[in-house]
Amino acid sequence: MVYLKGGTYVPLYSLDTLKSIVKPFQMDVYPVTNNQYLSFVLKNENWQKGKAIQLFTDSTYLKHWATSWSLGKDSNKIKNAPVVNVSWYAAKKYCEYLGKRLPTVAEWEFAAMASETKANASTDSGFYQKIVDWYAKPNHNHTLGNIGGTFKNFYGIWDMHGLVWEWTQDFNSALTSGESRSDSSLDKDLFCGGGAVNAKNLKNYAAFMRYAMRSSLKAKYSVGNLGFRCVKDVIVH
Amino acid sequence: MKNILVIISMILLLSSCHSKKEFKIPEQFPDNSIFNLTSEWKTQDGRIVPLKDFGGKINVAAMIFTSCRSACPRITADIQRIETEVQKKHKDEVGFLLISMDPDRDTPEKLKQFALDHHLDLSRWTLLTGNDDDVMELANVLDVRFKKSVENGIDHSNVIHVVDPAGVIVHQQIGLAVDPVETLNAIEKLYE
Repeated sequence: MVYLKGGTYVPLYSLDTLKSIVKPFQMDVYPVTNNQYLSFVLKNENWQKGKAIQLFTDSTYLKHWATSWSLGKDSNKIKNAPVVNVSWYAAKKYCEYLGKRLPTVAEWEFAAMASETKANASTDSGFYQKIVDWYAKPNHNHTLGNIGGTFKNFYGIWDMHGLVWEWTQDFNSALTSGESRSDSSLDKDLFCGGGAVNAKNLKNYAAFMRYAMRSSLKAKYSVGNLGFRCVKDVIVH
Repeated sequence: MKNILVIISMILLLSSCHSKKEFKIPEQFPDNSIFNLTSEWKTQDGRIVPLKDFGGKINVAAMIFTSCRSACPRITADIQRIETEVQKKHKDEVGFLLISMDPDRDTPEKLKQFALDHHLDLSRWTLLTGNDDDVMELANVLDVRFKKSVENGIDHSNVIHVVDPAGVIVHQQIGLAVDPVETLNAIEKLYE
């Protein structure tokens, strides 16, 4: 894991008064791989494919694995690729099992602001363009590359962009009412909202994409390009 | 006089003769039961309980936070509306759960005060608070979205859940001041 000293992060939808303070934390260098997830389910039967309960997983949980306890004949191809088709509950349990936790949206976005050379590349339009280009690129062969295949950012963290989408602890804080295309404000009866919501950085189209992705998720969903990595609090002595 | 007493007691007998149904708690909860969650919660009296302790009866549940000024009192009022109707037919058989999405501020004492302020009968109502992660997990199980907002507020979705005796969510009333007829029907269906 690598250490990040934290700082402030301005959420996409917020008021100026609502900067998130990101406390120091440690983050996994890579997304969790199929192989790593396999060793977790081998020790935690409850989370094996076919055994994990419906409350926590949907029917496509780990569907790219051959069996409950093996990756199958594609093992060599996928073992070092990020694990996907895992629910939020499963990702959370995996991190907890290792004494870690899922990153908050603020922590994830804070780490993701870093380009190869800058801790905060949020004013670097070239950096954002690269991310948006990745989002726009279709994945025709439906397989993900191995971890460590994109770029290492300022903090030494790999693959924050360009490989896989990632679960966050509070992904469900994206308040949009599903099907509605006119969510310019909160629906007052559906959501109780004290403050008006305004998007902060209109140029950050990539952040909008991630916001939309998160707001479309439910915790039991398995998605073919959605994985995760873990973080850990830093205990200050 | 004697006849009148007989008639009165017959009326009383008849009226208490509604269909009280005994629900059994299954040995193993269904796969989609919220009682599969192993988290523990604190009640308004500071008692520590797992969710499965609420099994064996129908529960109407919602997530709230007590410092909420607009929607939470309304959602509580919406549940009280359901309670009034349910009490007519199934006196004291259905439980009402309010679960805090703001565990840092909602201490058991705060919850107790909220119950007093809203005249909640604690023989039927239970208010729960927990830790952040468990609250997040439960919110996900219940499809409730929330986010910290300005002036210590929390933006959140307004949902009332009907939970069957085995912990399965059988109905969700979404939005505020909704006519509870469908929610009441969902409860009645469990009595069939």
